[in-house]
Amino acid sequence: MRVIAGFFLVFVLAACSKPEPVAPVAPVRTSASPAATPAPGDPVSAGPAPDGAALFAATCATCHMADGSGVPFLQPSIKGSAWISNPDPQPLLSLILRGSAVLGEAAQAYDNDMAPQEHLTDAEIAAIATYVRTRFAATPVEKPVTAEEATLARSRPGLP
Amino acid sequence: MKTTSAFLLGAGLLLAPLAQAALAPEADNAGLTLPPGFRAIIVADKLKSLRNLTVAPNGDIYAKTRQDGIYALRDTDGDGRADLVKEFGSGGGTGIAVHNGWLYHSTDSNIYRYKLIPGELVPGGEPERIVRDLPNRRQHAAKAFAFGADGRLYVEVGSPSNAYGGAKDRAPGAKGEDPTEFLKTFGGYWSFDPDKPDQTQADGIHFSTGHRHSTTIALHPVSKQLFVAIHGRDQLNTVAPQFFTDDDNAENPAEVLHALTKGADFGWPFTYWDPRAKQRKLNPEYGGDGKKLAEPGKYPDPLIGFPAHWAPMQLAFNPGAQFPAKYRHGGFLAFHGSWNRAPRPQRGFNVVFIPCDDKGWPTGDWEVFADNFAGKTEIASPGDARHRPNGVAFGPDGSLYISDSQAGRIWRIIYTGGQ
Repeated sequence: MRVIAGFFLVFVLAACSKPEPVAPVAPVRTSASPAATPAPGDPVSAGPAPDGAALFAATCATCHMADGSGVPFLQPSIKGSAWISNPDPQPLLSLILRGSAVLGEAAQAYDNDMAPQEHLTDAEIAAIATYVRTRFAATPVEKPVTAEEATLARSRPGLP
Repeated sequence: MKTTSAFLLGAGLLLAPLAQAALAPEADNAGLTLPPGFRAIIVADKLKSLRNLTVAPNGDIYAKTRQDGIYALRDTDGDGRADLVKEFGSGGGTGIAVHNGWLYHSTDSNIYRYKLIPGELVPGGEPERIVRDLPNRRQHAAKAFAFGADGRLYVEVGSPSNAYGGAKDRAPGAKGEDPTEFLKTFGGYWSFDPDKPDQTQADGIHFSTGHRHSTTIALHPVSKQLFVAIHGRDQLNTVAPQFFTDDDNAENPAEVLHALTKGADFGWPFTYWDPRAKQRKLNPEYGGDGKKLAEPGKYPDPLIGFPAHWAPMQLAFNPGAQFPAKYRHGGFLAFHGSWNRAPRPQRGFNVVFIPCDDKGWPTGDWEVFADNFAGKTEIASPGDARHRPNGVAFGPDGSLYISDSQAGRIWRIIYTGGQ
């Protein structure tokens, strides 16, 4: 892993000289992802690990609510969700990345579709997954989700 | 109890001509806050999640459930509480109305009607399908309807979209696409023959366009004009955080009230109404930055811009039989309460009063009429609200009925005078 991490660090540093295509930074937003955001798709981020709680608040809580309770009939509660409680993070990572399209028929239970979150970096996706597993799993899953696991989820279409 | 008895006596005298001497309001108005002189009665409680309401000329109440049948409720002893509660039919949905001896209702795809049988609470037989196979992609699929002064049936087809942002709708960087084809079948009102079975959308007259979703349409009894309330877009700060702060999103865009006129285009998905600036602005999906204004005069200004995200559910005009003169022929609009103001507290969860002038036209003012449905002032998530107003309808004596999607309650609001 050390070799891989070193490689990605070089990659990220090299990427820093290019303009970043998306992930606009809002100067007045306090709840957004902290600090410089690497380009989407980068497997790991330089600098400190993304703050999962802040990313959840900025990205997920709008629809799922800060307490995870959802909105009746529109967006599901994620408290105790099987997707989050599953020790294997791959289904959850795929769901976050691709939105409710991966749910198939199960998505019919709620009015609103979940938009894909592929604009987030793998490190950000992993931080969100880690945070929701700790906070909303039926039994908290303490094992952190890694950016490499998010990279794997991104590389595979649909559900694992 | 002495106070209550005296009060009931007073209420009885006032309402004696209406033969409702036994109406028994809740001592604390069941927790609702109402203007002085108004009282609340719990008609029924703990039913399934309720959508829109209608009341028949004989006082029988019909309430749509979101996912199942229709409740029929009757107060047989005159105390205001329903003694008979029957559920019939199936299919869920939102819209319901009594018209010319028929009970019309809508699922998310079809409009049906039942023949009402005099004296019978529950209509017999199978419903007749009037309009079939309307577009239904789940999001914004509720089919509001009403009958116009021309006798035609006006039906809404919502836009299964936030701001037509394509695959990234509701996600950062969403880019608007050309909605021309989409708006041929979505985001408008269509009118139909109310008596002809099995019409399709193609059989209807495309009456208005360019709206996101409207769950209510109501005919004013004086102006004979149809009015609609429209749900504004969500998530400005998610889609374009470089332009919109959390506060900008919490207060934008307005929920709007419009007159429904032939050929009207309400400006979605290109624009939204900023209720604080009272200006129509471009959506970020179409180049907006929170400042750029829409082309002047292209779309009508709303009659009222209500606070953002409150979710206007059902509108009813007061026929004027009971409430004081101030309220005569005014509109009553139930707001479901917001979910998209976070991290600001959620708001709405009330019923507002919309004054109308002598010609039956909204004056542009509004005020909260009934409040505290949520049971507390700081609501982070709509799930925290004790009740969420959804349906409003007037009974033949001028009582206002309100339904609840959260805990299945129906209230009856009466005017007794006094305190």
